[in-house]
Amino acid sequence: METRKTTCPFCLNGCTSAVVFDGYQYRMEYPSEAEVNRGRLCPRGNSASIVIDHPKRLAYPLLDGRAISWDEAANLVRGWRAAVRPEQVALVYSRGRGEDEVRRLFGLAREIGTKHVVCGHIEPENALGCRLEGTKDATLADVEFAKAMLLVGDVFNTSPVAVWRMLDARYADRKNRLVVIDSVRTRQSGFAHSFIQVRPGTEPLAMVALAALLDKNIKADLDKLATAAGVARGQLEAAAAMLAPAVPGFVGVAAHFGRVFHPLLHSLAGQLVAKAAGKPFVGFRETSLPPGGEDFTALRAALKAGEVRLLFWTGGMYPDSYAEVFPEAARAEYRVATSIFVPDPPVPGLVLPVTAELERAATASTYWGPASREPLAPPLSGSRDFGRVVELLGTAAEADLPARVEHKPAAVVEMAHKAAGLKRGGEGVLLLGEKKAIGLRGFYEPEDRLALNPTDAGSLGVDGDSFVRVTSPVGARDFGVLVSGQIPAGTATVGTNVHENRALFPLAVDEVSGMTTVAPVNVKIEKLASRVQAPSEHAPDRRGARYMLH
Amino acid sequence: MAKRLVLRMDYCIGCRSCEAACQSRFKHEARVRYAEVTPDAYFPLSCRHCAEPLCMAACPFEVIRKDPDTGIVSRSSFHCVGCRSCVLACPFGVMDTYLLRSTSQKCNLCSDRAGGPRCAASCPTGALQYVEESELKEVKTGVGIAARSVHWRRP
Repeated sequence: METRKTTCPFCLNGCTSAVVFDGYQYRMEYPSEAEVNRGRLCPRGNSASIVIDHPKRLAYPLLDGRAISWDEAANLVRGWRAAVRPEQVALVYSRGRGEDEVRRLFGLAREIGTKHVVCGHIEPENALGCRLEGTKDATLADVEFAKAMLLVGDVFNTSPVAVWRMLDARYADRKNRLVVIDSVRTRQSGFAHSFIQVRPGTEPLAMVALAALLDKNIKADLDKLATAAGVARGQLEAAAAMLAPAVPGFVGVAAHFGRVFHPLLHSLAGQLVAKAAGKPFVGFRETSLPPGGEDFTALRAALKAGEVRLLFWTGGMYPDSYAEVFPEAARAEYRVATSIFVPDPPVPGLVLPVTAELERAATASTYWGPASREPLAPPLSGSRDFGRVVELLGTAAEADLPARVEHKPAAVVEMAHKAAGLKRGGEGVLLLGEKKAIGLRGFYEPEDRLALNPTDAGSLGVDGDSFVRVTSPVGARDFGVLVSGQIPAGTATVGTNVHENRALFPLAVDEVSGMTTVAPVNVKIEKLASRVQAPSEHAPDRRGARYMLH
Repeated sequence: MAKRLVLRMDYCIGCRSCEAACQSRFKHEARVRYAEVTPDAYFPLSCRHCAEPLCMAACPFEVIRKDPDTGIVSRSSFHCVGCRSCVLACPFGVMDTYLLRSTSQKCNLCSDRAGGPRCAASCPTGALQYVEESELKEVKTGVGIAARSVHWRRP
């Protein structure tokens, strides 16, 4: 039996994971000598063996949901490429693509002669890669020997394996302090000495207010920011005392799908408070992709205007979740996507099978520095390496990426004031995305429960045995109900690992930065007499009986 | 020397990695499950490998046995007929019947793995530990904190 080790690709903590192939199946192994994780893995890390030999892996090209040969697919792509002008081609990269692969796409865009090379990873977490002037990155030692920690968002569910050092530091001395800022009372908040519960999406306002309390040079309207965030000023002052610059520690920020209105501000405000508190910063996220040559918002406009005829999308949620929420994609005459799983439901256009991240060597960037990634398993038969897929469009070598912009602290305060002045409202309940470390694509849980505040549950007339239909502007799904006091009144939360739930959140444009993102959305909730449930990921055949009543 | 699985409740973040590790080994028949006592108190449920196992006493076909050396209570899936006697007898409610195969499922502390149970090896925060019986008293489990108050506060 052969054991293969690699750096886990499911978040940036850089855990070493391993699989053993016993000639019949892949099994996870936990190498205890790894410095970062000492053999520990979160549920996502434990999914590696499932991804490798999952029965839904895509092993042949699909054209409008029908299997075709690679030769037919190659001829189609070359024909489509020849049928459109260079500037009508758009290349989009998203989650799952490494930095080397993105450089290759930039080279290809230059060779083709198109400006449309776009980062399609529009989840708020990708904004955590943006930099504020003078921010210092945290090291493992900063976490291990921290005496004061500020966590924003659900860090525990974003990178669970990074948490053991935090908990060790928290319990090492009774004087050590953990401050948590979040809109939902998550499990992480149960470990906090000070939990600051803010209005949904207003975490950056509380962070800028905290930064202004820690550093007198930051001029911000404290009362305006605290009121907009729904926090008492005294609570912020108590937290500022815990995070005094003389105390070593770090600031960790996570930004989740469907929880953040202003992703860029969220990231920069976290870095501003870290700078004000004299602490290093770490942006907890699952993946980090460089910004594209063009913004995603501009791509949507170009698609709408009919300026893009050939759309090549690789990685991320398209074609699975974006098929509904990204209607502009349908405006492209020719659509080529890559996927490692069979899209369900089938999508129009061409879908090409590529090797999974776990099946290729790469240099991985982690919170704690670069790490090498070796393949855990040989590529799935029928799938192709990303480089060979790109060759269908052109043969260019890698090109340099655009330099990252460094933002100024004064601009962050200005953005926060602008965000504090925005009015929010709307009918129905505000649906928030919930980060759960329970695995990928619902491998371990179908995420078919909607968490509701007891007051809202009472007004809807539902309890833990009820079923409800949630209708958002872009879709609907039926859920069981979980009544929980942890959820703020007027809001509801759903897990966002499964595509069915992600597809409830429409694309939104951040009013502060102009970035396209996935923000909380107002939804309609109706009580159901019985439940119509989609079968789980592991149902023997999802296509035969898509829905069953029970 | 027998080893035991211990949970330090102060470190459990309810991430369900233990359940995921068990599921990935036993192909969606997790022997460890997740319990939520209050929104703040949660922990994995798994077989205690009792000194005098009631499941073993209840089994009509002597399929469940206790190893006198290691203390592991194990079940032979080949001989199990799925009568559910063990499921009903277990005072902790940690046994269940796997519907597709109609046999009961039973934690064997991953006796096929030299390094001990996968749930303990993969626990992200080190809340689950696999320790020698002689070291049991040295492990601070945090149970006292939980027992003092339902809505417990961590130290």
